[in-house]
Formats: sequence, C-alpha cells, structure tokens
Amino acid sequence: MVAMGEVLPYRPPRAREDTTAYVGMIVFLASWAMMFAAMFFAYAFVRARSAAWPPSDLPELPIALPALNTLVLFASSASQQYGMIAIRRGSSRRLGWALLCTVGLGTLFLALQLTLWMRLYHSGLRPETGGPYGSVFYGLTWFHALHVAVGLVAIAVLCAKAFGGRFSAAKYLPVRLWTLYWHFVGVIWALMFASIFLI
Amino acid sequence: MEAASHAAGAHGEPTSFIRRYLFSTDHKVIAKQFLWAGLVFLAVGGTLAMMIRWQWAFPGRPVPVLGALLHRSGGVITPATYQSIFTMHGLIMIFFAITPVMIGCFGNFTIPLMIGAQDMAFPKLNMLSFWTFVISLVLITASFFVQLGTAAAGWTTYPPLSTTVGTPGAGQTLVVLAIFVTGAATIMGAINYVTTVIRLRAPGMTYMRMPLTVWGLWLTAILNVLFVPVLGAAALLLTLDRAFGTQFFIAGAAGVKGGGDPILFQHLFWIFGHPEVYILILPAWGFISDIIPFFARKPAYWYRGQVLAMCAVTVLSAVVYGHHMFLTGMNPLLGKGFMTLTLIISVPAEILFLNWLHTLWKGSNRFSSPMLFALGTVFVFGLGGLTGLYLGTIATDLYLHDTMWVVGHFHLTMAAAAFLGSFAAIYFWFPKMFGRTMNEPLAKAHFWISVVFINLVFCGQLVAGFSGQQRRLYDPYQYTFLQHLLPLNRWTSYFAFALAAGQLLFVYNFLRSVFAGAKAEQNPWEIGTLEWTMAPSPPPHGNYWPIPTVLRGPHEFANPEVKKALGRDWIGQAEELPSTAASPARTPAASGK
Repeated sequence: MVAMGEVLPYRPPRAREDTTAYVGMIVFLASWAMMFAAMFFAYAFVRARSAAWPPSDLPELPIALPALNTLVLFASSASQQYGMIAIRRGSSRRLGWALLCTVGLGTLFLALQLTLWMRLYHSGLRPETGGPYGSVFYGLTWFHALHVAVGLVAIAVLCAKAFGGRFSAAKYLPVRLWTLYWHFVGVIWALMFASIFLI
Repeated sequence: MEAASHAAGAHGEPTSFIRRYLFSTDHKVIAKQFLWAGLVFLAVGGTLAMMIRWQWAFPGRPVPVLGALLHRSGGVITPATYQSIFTMHGLIMIFFAITPVMIGCFGNFTIPLMIGAQDMAFPKLNMLSFWTFVISLVLITASFFVQLGTAAAGWTTYPPLSTTVGTPGAGQTLVVLAIFVTGAATIMGAINYVTTVIRLRAPGMTYMRMPLTVWGLWLTAILNVLFVPVLGAAALLLTLDRAFGTQFFIAGAAGVKGGGDPILFQHLFWIFGHPEVYILILPAWGFISDIIPFFARKPAYWYRGQVLAMCAVTVLSAVVYGHHMFLTGMNPLLGKGFMTLTLIISVPAEILFLNWLHTLWKGSNRFSSPMLFALGTVFVFGLGGLTGLYLGTIATDLYLHDTMWVVGHFHLTMAAAAFLGSFAAIYFWFPKMFGRTMNEPLAKAHFWISVVFINLVFCGQLVAGFSGQQRRLYDPYQYTFLQHLLPLNRWTSYFAFALAAGQLLFVYNFLRSVFAGAKAEQNPWEIGTLEWTMAPSPPPHGNYWPIPTVLRGPHEFANPEVKKALGRDWIGQAEELPSTAASPARTPAASGK
C-alpha cells in the first residue's frame, strides 16, 4: 500500500514497456510496407504501360550479381537472428560478434549494389535517359539501399554497445527492434530481386 | 486534487522553459503546440481563400488591403499568382490547418486522457513528430519566397503540371518536400496513437468502453499509418522526377523511351487521397458522437453500431479511390465497381446519422456552444454527403466533374464539417486544456455567424457548379455562358467575407480566454469521461496517479439508480456507485508496485 502523501512515479514493468515498443515497431513497419507497396504498384503500372521491357536499346539487368547480393543480405539476417538467440541466452559478447558480422555483410551488400549501379551506368542505363525502365531500377534500389544504410548505422551502434556489455537476457529491446527492421529490409530486397531482376 | 499535483512534481516534471514549453514530451503541451500552429495556418489558408473569392467577385481589380502583398502587379491577382493561391489554399488547409488542429492537437490531447494513460506510448517520438511538422512549415513558408513563387499545380499536384515541365521553379519542389516531411510527422504521430490505444488503456477501459472520440481518432490514425506512406511514395517519386531526371510521371514530348505515365500519380494520389478525406472527417465524427450524447444527457444511441459504422467506413474508404478518376479513361467495369463501393459508404454513414438523431430524440438537450457546433457539423456533413451521391454516380459525375459542384461538395464535408467539428472540440475541451473558460455568448454568436455563412458560401458554389462553372477558372466571365453567374459569385464572395469577419469573434474570445478567462471547474459540462472526472483542469504532468480503474462506458446518463444514489444524472467512468462500495474502486492495479 502507498502511504498517504508518499507518491511513487508510475512505472510499468519492463516487459510491458518492451511489448509496447514492439507493437509500435510493427505498426511502423506496416506503414513502411505500404510505402514500398506503393512503389511496387508504380513499377507494375509503368511496366504494364510500356511497349517493351527492357527497351531494345538498353542493357538487360544482370541476375548473377543481385542473386549473390540476395544471399549476402539473407546471411546478414541469419547472423542478426543468431545474435538475438545469443543474447536471449545471456551472451552479450556473442551478440557483439553476430552484429559485427551483420554490419560486415550489410556493408558488402552496399558495395555490391554500388558495383551494380556503376556497371549499368557505364553500359548506358542512366536515370535521366533510361526512361521508366531506368527510373524503376534506380529509384527503387536507391530507396532500398537508403534503408540498408540506416539499419547499418543503427546496428553498428548496437554492436559497440554489445561489446561494452550493455545488453543482457533481460534487457535487449533495441536489438529485438532493429532485428525486426533488418528482416523487413531483407524481405523487401527479396521482393525487389524477384520482381525487378528475375521477371 | 492536492495529491495529483503533488504526484506531478514527483514525476520529474521539467521546470526549465525550453523543456517545459518548447521541447516538451508532455502530450498536452504538444497538443497545444499543434493547436497554435494549426490556427495560425488556418488564418493563412483562410486569407488565401478570401483572395480567390475576391478574384471571382471582382476579376482583375486590385485586392484591397492584401493587395500590398502583390505589389509587383499593382495589387492585381495575375493568372500565375492565382494558380499559386488556390494551390496553397488547398494544401495549407488540409495538411497544415485541419490536420494539426484535429489530429495533432485533439489526437494528442484526448487519446491519453480519455483512455486513462499517463502519456503517449512514445513521448519522445511525439515531440519529434511536432518538430518534424515545424520543418515542413518552414519549407512551405520558404516556398513563397523563391523565384517563380510557390507551388502552382493544384493541391492534387498532378503531373505533368507538377513536373519540371509544368512548374520549373524551386517552389514546387519545396512544397512536394514539405508534403513528404509533414507526411513523416503524421506517421510518427499515428504510430503513437495506434500503439497508445492498443497498449495503454487503463484497467477496465475495454474497446467498447472507449469514448467515440478515441474511436474516431484511432481509426484515423490507422488510416494515416497505412495510407500517408502512399502519398509519401508519390511525393518521393515526383521529387526523383523533378530533381534526378527519372521518368515515372513524365510522358509525351518530354518523355524518354516512351516515358512514364501521369495517370500513375493520380492512382497513387487517390489511393492516399480518398482515405485522407475520411482521415479529416473521422475525428469530427468522433467528437460529435460524444458531444451529442453529453449535451443531450442521454447515452449514445447504439454505441456499438456507431463503432461498427466508423470501422466500416474506415475499411471502405480504402477501396473507393477510383471515383476520383472516372474521367481518366478508366475501364468502365472498374468504374462501375468503384461506383458501387462508393455508394455503399452511404449505408454506414446513414447509421451514424440516424444514431445522432436518435440520441437527440427526446433528450434533455443543452444547447451550449459545443453542442451547437456539433449540430452544425451534422447539418453540413449531411448536405455534403447528399451532394456527394451525384459525384459518386458515374452518369451524373460525367457532367459535374471538375465543376464548382465538386468544390462545394468537398468543402461542405472536408472544410465545413471539419471546421465546425474542430470548433466543437475547441469549445468543448478548452476548459480542460487551458484551465479557463471561454465566453459563452461570444461562442454562440461565433456559431451562428459561422454556420449561416458557411452554408451560404458552399451552397453558392454548388449552384455555380450546377450551372456549369468549372472549378479553378481565373476569370469565369470570359465564357459567355457563365457571365450571368457574376452576381451569384459576387454574393457568395460577400458571404465568404462575412464568414471570415465572423472568425474575429473566435480569435478575440480564444486569445482573451487563454490569458484572462475565468478559471474553469474540473467538470463544467457534468459528464463522466476520465479527463473531466479524474483530473483537474488543466490535468497535471502525468495526468493520473494512480491510474483509474474504469467501470463503465463513456455515456452513462439518466440512469435512475445513479440519480437515486448520487442525486445527479451522470456518473464518472471510474466512479463507484455507493451501493456497491464494498470493493475498492481505485486500486492501482496497473502500477508496477
């Protein structure tokens, strides 16, 4: 019982706050999913309206490099998930190594994307002269790469904190939230790979 | 409420001016920040509207007073300026006036208070939402001062006019960016509202005990979370087209390799845009669905039906956007589908309407200013809804599309209903928000002037549209068949000026009451929702200590048992009836301790 005059600030139990943050993250990702859905809709729309895809004088998009990149991003998702399992078992150090692995693989992904953009740019596919074909390729992959970059910065910070021992089995909410984000970015890439490069 | 205010101090209430009033994380302070920003931009948007009305009443004549802003053309509105004026009137009113007042202010203020939470789920995100909104205000203000002026492609920002082909100036780019940024601010707010309602309801506050205001704002937030990003994607692709040379929306002579498709923008815009019109009206539905039972001293008629109808409208609003595009060469079968779905919306809308009327029926109605504004909202929304049927039906839309009829219709729903609904909310929550009372006779005068002239203005537009006047014409009287509409338009303009002048009553009343109004009681309206019964006016930082335990719904009026036990016709949502006082009413069940 609280004695008269004595006032305790209201603090919900941590698990409750964690769930609230988790719900917020789900709502945020639902919102962002709609943004990407709108972009895929735009892609489908311009593609359905165009006579030839790709136009005959533009290079076809490669498959091998983005396929490799898909595997790289999937591997980073796996290492991220491994980090989650590690911290649930209480190993902040192993979490740190897993996150470092994620950051490394994510950076490799961006490097490979850069290679892809440069290679296509030099073979004649440019945003300003590529018509809708070039617009879709550059617009969607740029926007996705931006999300990868944001995730990388955040996970790098988490990685430093993990090596500093700031997380434990009872307290790892930021890792949980950014893992969700990272998987989301991976799924979006898988959809981009399938729709832009494969079909 | 000695204990409550003491509790506030123990909560670590910030004491420095900057943390308390500027970068505050308190939802009540953020609500006031949104209110001030929204009201200022409401005045800006209104001023632009007056300039449009002047042009239609006296085309080519120098604008009095405001003409000083147009010194380069000697006070005359030029065609290019006119384009910018109607574009910015629409954008400012929707994104920078109605949205901050209805959703930014009242979403923030009422949701935590009415569900018995101490603050939003993510207070820092809430603060970030407001300051992101401020960035968009800066962008939109800056756009007026760049070369070639601000945006001029209509509020809908359709390409090709909105691409660099149609509007080469930096102003349009700044405005598209402002829309993107304000969209981000809206999403941050909406994530907060959705999560707060899901997670932070007080014990006993089941979904079916939530005030209808919270229902309206929650459904609004869900629509915002899901559909503002679509606008964001459209704005982003348009920015890429404008700044990086991509070709999503550019076609025709300026298109490369076949180009993109301007119609694509219309799809993306209206996939967002149709939910948006419900985003702007759902909060008002929520406010008046609460205010009418509060002042009719009766429980809301068929509360569940009201909730279901609002949910149905929310779902349907996502699948009717095609009715904005009947004239874009849409497949007729698709058009018919959209028409059917559109007309189906009138079913839940009728349920809402009949419930309001049933609530009023044989109520002990108190015609205080919030009630008057709520009834005004019901009236103009009804008128707006009925005129919408002709636009949702393809056969009549073919003739009425892009006429002043459309303008009159959407102003009755989105402007008049949202405007009167916002004022109902302002007059209703003002005592709780500022701890002071507004002047009631002035409020009533404000209501009568507003409701009479707002109807005359928008019905004047309906008549002009039915006579064939297209919307957005710089000088309608260049067409012989529209010349006879000059007297009508002139009268409509006089009514509009009277409407604007009447708002000075509100400005005076609001400012005087904020700084020097009589101190408000805790519960001046004698109703049972948590913010009026469990917190003083204004509520302290942290709202409630302990969190109240909710026992009943929000509209517990005219209950004979309550009357017998307490001698009044209302009971608080968390108030124990004395006969059952055996079990403790206010257990701090939710506290961690």
